[in-house]
Amino acid sequence: MSEYSNNFTLQEIMAVAAAREIRDFEKVIIGTGLPLLGSMLAMRTHAPNIIAIYESGTIEARPVKTPFSVADSCLIPGAAMQGGLIEGLGIVHAGELDVGFLGGAQIDRFGNLNAHVIGDYYHPEVRFAGSGGSNDIGAGCKRTIIMMLHQKRRFKETVDFVTTPGYLTGGKHREKLGFPGSGPAVVVSTLGILRFHPDSKEMYLESYHPGTDVETVRANTGWDLKISNDIRETEPPTVEEIRILREELDPTGVFLKKN
Amino acid sequence: MRRSKVMSAKEAVSQYIQDGMTVLVGGFFHAISYTITHEIIRQRKKNLTICQSSFNEHADQLIGAGCVDRIISSYVWMEVFGPLYCFRRAMEKGIPHRIAMEDYSNFAMTARFLAGALGIPYMPLNSLKGSDMMNHAQWMGDKKVILQEDPFGSGISHALVPALKPEVGYFHAQRADEEGNVQMWGILGDAPWSVRACNQVIVSVEEIVSRDVIGRDPNRTILPAYKVAAVVKEPFGAHPKNTQGYYDVDRDFIFTYIGMAKNENTWKEYMDEWVYGVSDRSEYIEKYIRKYGYRKFASLKAKEMPSGCINYGY
Repeated sequence: MSEYSNNFTLQEIMAVAAAREIRDFEKVIIGTGLPLLGSMLAMRTHAPNIIAIYESGTIEARPVKTPFSVADSCLIPGAAMQGGLIEGLGIVHAGELDVGFLGGAQIDRFGNLNAHVIGDYYHPEVRFAGSGGSNDIGAGCKRTIIMMLHQKRRFKETVDFVTTPGYLTGGKHREKLGFPGSGPAVVVSTLGILRFHPDSKEMYLESYHPGTDVETVRANTGWDLKISNDIRETEPPTVEEIRILREELDPTGVFLKKN
Repeated sequence: MRRSKVMSAKEAVSQYIQDGMTVLVGGFFHAISYTITHEIIRQRKKNLTICQSSFNEHADQLIGAGCVDRIISSYVWMEVFGPLYCFRRAMEKGIPHRIAMEDYSNFAMTARFLAGALGIPYMPLNSLKGSDMMNHAQWMGDKKVILQEDPFGSGISHALVPALKPEVGYFHAQRADEEGNVQMWGILGDAPWSVRACNQVIVSVEEIVSRDVIGRDPNRTILPAYKVAAVVKEPFGAHPKNTQGYYDVDRDFIFTYIGMAKNENTWKEYMDEWVYGVSDRSEYIEKYIRKYGYRKFASLKAKEMPSGCINYGY
């Protein structure tokens, strides 16, 4: 039994929770920031054989330093294959990858994500980046891991625009559309870990992070959030996981500096 | 040796990019032709429709400078570096004027180029279905994307996206010969399909090599010369982006841009200094070295990591 850390930030527990969602030998498409740290942490702990794929067409990347961007030049030397977007996202689109990461400005109870606008699409109050590869990852990956800041204005009853469908209106709605991928498996938020009911596809709280509680999570969610019957505290990061994140993966604090 | 297409960025832009055209900017985060982008801004081109699978600060600069009316893309942002403020000002407040964007996914964009390059009218996709990109369109209306059931009987409906064939495209690559056989490596992005979909292509390159050098490794060629209208020799032509084997991304410079673009006045200062205030790429590089020092400039240079040689013999 490894020793748990009692000194970690919310970003670190999110990176650790993301890492624990990945199984060895899986094919994983990786974005920048926390998904990247989570995947690299998984490779250095329980999943050394995952195949790391980047949207930019890098397959089985083995960078000697932590890449800053999905187009970082350090991803190329040592990779098994390098192509373009047709190669990188084509295999996602074909349904060949196990895991993809998603995020966004808003999410609803069925895991539908908005990365386009706040307000009206045609006259936005705030305009965001748009889909990028998110919609393709959501459609094609066997399962997705969503990482979100947990705030009431982000966990919304209704999202302003569906960039990447989760389970749409729930139940069998997603299944009827015939995507290669089966949808979001988990939401790793700044407050807890949430999953989706197998039939209704509604999001529920599985665990709350150390330092928070069920009431805080509910207060920061824009709908009446369901709670698991065996609700518990999220398993904290181990001392070793935190050491790898800080000393090996992000020694200059590029990704983990903000808390 | 056939006709040389080597010319300056000034000549290439004035000859091949006209107001109102649909212009492809090729690539993905890596090897973006800033030299051609800046020349378009200096020549004050107008009413352009710009397209690329995913855009970064180069789109922001074109938008802020008033060159753009329409965008066809999946993304206008700069990853963890931050938002693009000219894009946001234009979309949210109509500054300097209102622009419209047709939103697709990254793969849907690339598939549109693929269809264009292959000479087929559309491409069926697993992506887009169920998203609001299906039912929200700008000028393309109901021709943006169409949901259709598989005529071969799988029972699954796909999102059909129309072929995209830009009138002209420009992109950056490592090298080409004088006639325009282009070789590129590292992250290709929406290339080669995006540039192959264009009627005419301007390529900026780090180096011009002989036809013999091209012929020694023809698998590396991503675009044959007959597709290329102009070859512009422009070392450091993708700065502040990276070009594999030549230089790394200049993170500090991108952060500086994003910081200054937050505010219209400081954005104008940036543009006066780095775009309007230089006449070409050599002046830009001289200015960079004067301002940040040769040591910083040299620190971006790529390390030697050559590929092994393969035998093309028979």
